[in-house]
Amino acid sequence: MHSYISLKDVVFSRSGRRIFNGVSVEIPRGKVTAIMGPSGSGKTTLLRLIGGQLQPDSGQIMVDNQPISKLGRTELYAFRRKMGMLFQSGALFTDLSVYENVAFPMRVHTSLPEDMIRDIVLMKLEAVGLRGARELMPSELSGGMNRRVALARSIALDPELIMYDEPFAGQDPIGMGVLVKLIHDLNSSMGLTSVLVSHDVKESLSICHYACIIADGKVIGAGTPAELQEHPSEQVQQFLQGQPDGPVPFHYPSPAAAADFGLAGGAS
Amino acid sequence: MIDRIASFGRSGTELVVSLGRASRFLAGVLWGVPRPATGFPLLLKQLYSVGVLSLAIIVVSGLFIGMVLGLQGYTILSDFGSEAAIGQMIALTLVRELGPVVTALLFAGRAGSALTAEIGLMKATEQLSSMEMMGVDPLRRVIAPRLWAGFIAMPVLAIIFSMVGIWGGMLVGVEWLGVFEGSYWGNMQASVDFWDDVVNGVIKSVVFGFVCAWIAVYQGYDCVPTSAGISSATTKTVVYSSLAVLGLDFVLTAVMFGNF
Repeated sequence: MHSYISLKDVVFSRSGRRIFNGVSVEIPRGKVTAIMGPSGSGKTTLLRLIGGQLQPDSGQIMVDNQPISKLGRTELYAFRRKMGMLFQSGALFTDLSVYENVAFPMRVHTSLPEDMIRDIVLMKLEAVGLRGARELMPSELSGGMNRRVALARSIALDPELIMYDEPFAGQDPIGMGVLVKLIHDLNSSMGLTSVLVSHDVKESLSICHYACIIADGKVIGAGTPAELQEHPSEQVQQFLQGQPDGPVPFHYPSPAAAADFGLAGGAS
Repeated sequence: MIDRIASFGRSGTELVVSLGRASRFLAGVLWGVPRPATGFPLLLKQLYSVGVLSLAIIVVSGLFIGMVLGLQGYTILSDFGSEAAIGQMIALTLVRELGPVVTALLFAGRAGSALTAEIGLMKATEQLSSMEMMGVDPLRRVIAPRLWAGFIAMPVLAIIFSMVGIWGGMLVGVEWLGVFEGSYWGNMQASVDFWDDVVNGVIKSVVFGFVCAWIAVYQGYDCVPTSAGISSATTKTVVYSSLAVLGLDFVLTAVMFGNF
């Protein structure tokens, strides 16, 4: 497997809390890789580490053979032109129309003539099915449309890598189906390396070639979707099958119930 | 007692850390000057938002402050039979002090709070992060034009404030209370020195503009990206800017007009 992204023994803490305790992940080039895990397990943090927005305490993060955490500010900003990222909120610029949002990266990074920018913007919007919405403002879009426009913007410069941060969160079934199809089609048609962070197991496993599950600051399971379904770890199976109790307990750690409720024999 | 000392020390440390972060932030903004082709349109847009949209409050406030100065000045000076000096009094008060200071306070309340809220919301809605991930430095694209716009707009607004105030004082002193118009303008021309009074007043407003804009953009960029965080940052912008302006005004006045 030829890796596009490689994380080796990454340790990362924030506000005194250890988020990753020696995480190692290999993300293959040209494939869809799903990073899954319970809420608060650090999935979005992992994307920010890959994008160089956060620095690890120790360990190595290589993206396209570049040590992303060691690049200088100018090199890092130049390198990010190869990346696209779809944020959970879409993160569209609220003072720009749909058209101008998609045109933004081209206006900043290229000196293409206006008619060429127009053609590319319309092609990208066509790819996400929103060519007709180009005059709308972000406030006039639904949540799903917002993310599709953000997706069009993130592929405007034809990146090599695209990262999706919880793309299915808060989507209705149709919107979710559209996004699943778009992620799959874009990856195969553009030859992108895609990293998908989600806790929507069914949708993620349906389009990914490779997946890993993160919990408790480490990778608890990795492999193809079929391999994960057969994974021996109880914690992996609890997550994949959505069981309310198991290695991850239903109850948050608490003192004995008898003591809390003041029942006989419980007082200490 | 020990707890109090520890708490005092902690507050001092936090203040120094915060000042250090703000200085690094400022260095980053000043270092990353945008290219003229892309930076100038952004600067113009911010000059409109920060400067032109502040004109209404500046003009109305300047007019009323000038009129109040006219009324108060006439009442006090007429006791000594010196009401002819009202033009001189209004002009010196406005050009040296009230013009720069009141404009800066109004600027912090209108434009400074708007800058903080706008940048804070951009942070909360991940617009700044998305910009970073597109390879666009938000310090250059978002922060620098707003900082420079505040720096440029403030002296211009202060000059307009003083001019409107002087005109408002004339309306009351000359048109209403009957002070001879020749005395109003003549005494003003004889006593207001361009370098000592006007230029020093403009220097003050340049300093206030820089400090107010710096505080506003830093508070927005550094805020906790939640509704409570943005609210707190906006309040801090107005409070810190007002205190900084009043404190700096004392220092600058002592240096410029102290004659020690």
